[in-house]
Amino acid sequence: MKRVIAVLAASTCLGSAAFGDDDRIVVGFATAETGFMQAYDKPAQDAAMIRIAEINEAGGLLGKQIEVVNADTKTDRAEGAKAGLSVIDAGADIVVVSCDYDFGAPAALTAESSGLISFFLCAESIKAGIQGVGPNSFSASVLAPVQGATMAQWAYEKKEARSFYRLLDTWTEYNKGICDGFDYMLPQLADATLVGEDTFLNEDASIAAQITRIKGLPEEPDAIMLCTMMPGAVSAIKQLRAAGINSMILNGSGVDGSYWLSAVPDLSNFYTPVQGSIYGDDPNAEVTAFNAKFKEATGGDPSTQYTYPGYVMIDVWAKAVERAGTTETAAVVAELEKMNAEPTLFGPRTFTSELHHQNQARYLIVETNAGKPGVVDEWTISAPIPVADLMK
Amino acid sequence: MAPRTQRRSVALRTISTPLILAALLVAFALVAWASGSRPFNQTVIDIFLQVIFVVGLYVFVGNSGVISFGHIAFACLGGYVAAWTTIKPMMKGISMPGLPDWLMQLEIPFWAAALAGGAFAAFWALVFGAVLMRLSGIAASIATFAMLAMVNSIYSNWESVTAATSSVVGIPILRVLWPYLVAAILAVFAAWAYSISRHGLALRAARDEPTAAAASGIDIPRARLIAFVISGAIMGAGGALYAHSIGLVTPDTYYLGLTFTTLSMLVVGGMSSLSGAVLGVLILSSLIQALRWLEAGIDIGTTTFALPGGVQEIALGVVMIAILMFRPAGIMGNKELTWPTGRGNDKPGEPGETN
Amino acid sequence: MGSVMQVVFDAASLGSLYALGALGIALIFGVMRLVNFAHGDVIAACVFVLLWPSVDAVAIVFAGNLPWFLLVPFVLAMGAALSVASEVVVFRRFRNANPATMMIASFALGFVIRYFLLMLYSSRPKSISLLPTLSQPVEIMGARIPLLQVITIVVTIGVLFGLTSFLRRTRFGLEMRAAAENFTMARVLGVRANRVIMGAFALSGALAAAIALILGSQTGTANIVMGANVMLMAFIATVIGGMGSLAGAVIAGFLLGAIAVVMQVILPPDARAFRDAFVYGAVILVLIFRPQGLLTARGTKERV
Repeated sequence: MKRVIAVLAASTCLGSAAFGDDDRIVVGFATAETGFMQAYDKPAQDAAMIRIAEINEAGGLLGKQIEVVNADTKTDRAEGAKAGLSVIDAGADIVVVSCDYDFGAPAALTAESSGLISFFLCAESIKAGIQGVGPNSFSASVLAPVQGATMAQWAYEKKEARSFYRLLDTWTEYNKGICDGFDYMLPQLADATLVGEDTFLNEDASIAAQITRIKGLPEEPDAIMLCTMMPGAVSAIKQLRAAGINSMILNGSGVDGSYWLSAVPDLSNFYTPVQGSIYGDDPNAEVTAFNAKFKEATGGDPSTQYTYPGYVMIDVWAKAVERAGTTETAAVVAELEKMNAEPTLFGPRTFTSELHHQNQARYLIVETNAGKPGVVDEWTISAPIPVADLMK
Repeated sequence: MAPRTQRRSVALRTISTPLILAALLVAFALVAWASGSRPFNQTVIDIFLQVIFVVGLYVFVGNSGVISFGHIAFACLGGYVAAWTTIKPMMKGISMPGLPDWLMQLEIPFWAAALAGGAFAAFWALVFGAVLMRLSGIAASIATFAMLAMVNSIYSNWESVTAATSSVVGIPILRVLWPYLVAAILAVFAAWAYSISRHGLALRAARDEPTAAAASGIDIPRARLIAFVISGAIMGAGGALYAHSIGLVTPDTYYLGLTFTTLSMLVVGGMSSLSGAVLGVLILSSLIQALRWLEAGIDIGTTTFALPGGVQEIALGVVMIAILMFRPAGIMGNKELTWPTGRGNDKPGEPGETN
Repeated sequence: MGSVMQVVFDAASLGSLYALGALGIALIFGVMRLVNFAHGDVIAACVFVLLWPSVDAVAIVFAGNLPWFLLVPFVLAMGAALSVASEVVVFRRFRNANPATMMIASFALGFVIRYFLLMLYSSRPKSISLLPTLSQPVEIMGARIPLLQVITIVVTIGVLFGLTSFLRRTRFGLEMRAAAENFTMARVLGVRANRVIMGAFALSGALAAAIALILGSQTGTANIVMGANVMLMAFIATVIGGMGSLAGAVIAGFLLGAIAVVMQVILPPDARAFRDAFVYGAVILVLIFRPQGLLTARGTKERV
């Protein structure tokens, strides 16, 4: 055994050779390269790499080429902490962590305790920021409650939905976040009523009992707010439609993508908020151009909108570094916090000293009709969701 | 039962086992300390935590012979005690507003949180154990699993006290190796002390010869309950320290994944041997780490050799099956590591040979 | 009336899934005292054989395009084959090992299967439209029920009758029952152990495949962890039913399905999220009052 340890010890020394060299600008990715989260982290990371390549081609950042170091979290929290330490020891100036708050937090906490900026690839919980990890942590995506609130208000204003049903999958914080936003918005919509609510679990083999409750209502609700995510979402949607419930289904961004639609043939009356369209019909032609670039780089189209936040992340961080003239944490954080409706490819982004996240955002509304998804509208909630409501 | 002098001689005869195991752990710690690499340091911290869990599980499973799927529930209870008692009151108010006032204001050091976690877990082990220890065999195993699932379901949904499925952050992170080393060594000694105690000997007798043991007046449910509470306390303390090692807790961390890792390490090491419990962790953890390094790529001369991603888990499973095929009773069987010059009956395997 | 019927059907269809799973576990436990934790991963593998290996988000349907009368036997055969292979390659070497060792070996095998699938297909759930005509609702006694639920229940009952008559009427079934009762004795009396055990694994694998078909068409998703939940419930059902008792496993499977559905219906909204805590609490209660299970199989006492 001692022999083995000696070999292992020798190999770690190789790994941590580079240390604290200030002539370089290094982006450290402590993300999942294997395991469950890999499917979610990789597309966003690929998008981030595209932005890094663009910046490097245009002459780099502060005149230096951006370098990249990686460490695999293996979709494991304890490994996440190690991955964070690894990229920090390799000289990272910013630590990019997993898409999901729960899996990204351990690495983000190592960055926070080393006084470095951490950026969640696409976490949508308010805790992926000041309120959870700490004052140097940011997320590149939009808060989940904004999605629920957007869908509720949009369905009310544009689709005359008045009776709502709330179906929550209690599996993750993300799901609860969507429904929290819905709960925040609903009382603000005059004569809109909640006709019922229920919960299920993502892994439930059958949600027959929940469906029976909906069918027991005197009248089918206008809209069902479905707060869930993959993989359970497909199952829930399929079972809802199989039971003959034809209400409008409102969702969070987690169900974006056409890859799963074959499971529910001819799905209609189904609405999803997205930051950018992967279907080639984004009102902004540059998004479609990005999609082509992504395909060129990775060999496939983006499969969901969660590809985009990775690009936004490098974009806003690089701008802040450029403005601050340094990669030093406090200066970059200060510049990021000055961003107010900063234009990006996927809508304006705002960071404040109170919130490192978007509590209001422009969303495209994708409608799936007869199994074909496409952008039908654009919606921004009338006012940002107050931080106090996000924290409850 | 055994008079005092006799027990002392048992203690003297067997103390070499925990001493050797402690020396092994110290050796690991020294290697990590000498390497100076922070990720490697964290890896060794994980190994020590896993030692605590597996030794905790051994105290019950090894001595009683009853497989428990539920012990990680105690780690969960302990982990949340750490969250309740060490996070800054202001942050607690945000994430867990339903805590009672006295707990909300409490801010204690990590070692006190580990003790409190152990005590809290021990209390619940007593409550659950009073009901469950009447069961034996696979019914007991399933009942312990049901206990784990209950605890998980409650902690995953009790919004105001556990923040439900959300990760609770703000637990002070402890990246120094030594407290974990001390805790792992304490766990090893506690397990050893229990196994040579009157209760431990009685329980092992009941494991091997249940009918005879019951006939000679051993109250099996009570003997099991004592082991259950002690092992629950060790798991609880381990759970609290685990929370300090990564700085957050979620119910999901303490569920099926950790349950199976812990159980696998115990069975691969040798279910009814304390040395097996510790070696199971050290050997499997070293293997996992070696595979991970291979996966990340190792430079040999001018070429880089790397395993494709995902091979690590597959290889681990295959190696575990192979070890069990050739040593169905685990690496150590039911033997313990002792001085080589000792009574000469069990020839202790050099750990290096098996890896 | 309609709503009561609806609940009954919901409970029966969920219970059917658990019962089929419990049967698969009980069959193997019966002949070799193995608690097969790889069962859930066999279920997942059976769905994935319909897809061509690729890590893209869009599933490349391969065998899934077969017409149903070829697709169903194909999946059943794949399940049986995988299960038999696991016995030949792995479990055969554990004949004399203690149950804990076998259990961990089966868990390790499941781990290997799961990560193998993960490597081939990535963790992103894949969507498949499996037997889409089954998603249509039908009306029975005032309740509108997806056709699939009806088929699930009918198939389960069919499987139960088929299996019962197979075990009662054929020589192979007789040998298997004898082996389940007392393996050593049966062997002495001339039961061909390897054949019986392989038969049990084949049947168990086919049952896993049947669950895979039902889950696949119900959820429309292939997901590497899709079998885990059913497997856990099935495992519990097997124990509650009385380890090794096939009839007990089935009854307990239906019972668990019924408890889960009824809890969902009667619990107030705030407590519904805690449903599983109540279900597992009920499991503990059943075990306390019937530690040997609802139906006790002879010769299975105190082996683990």
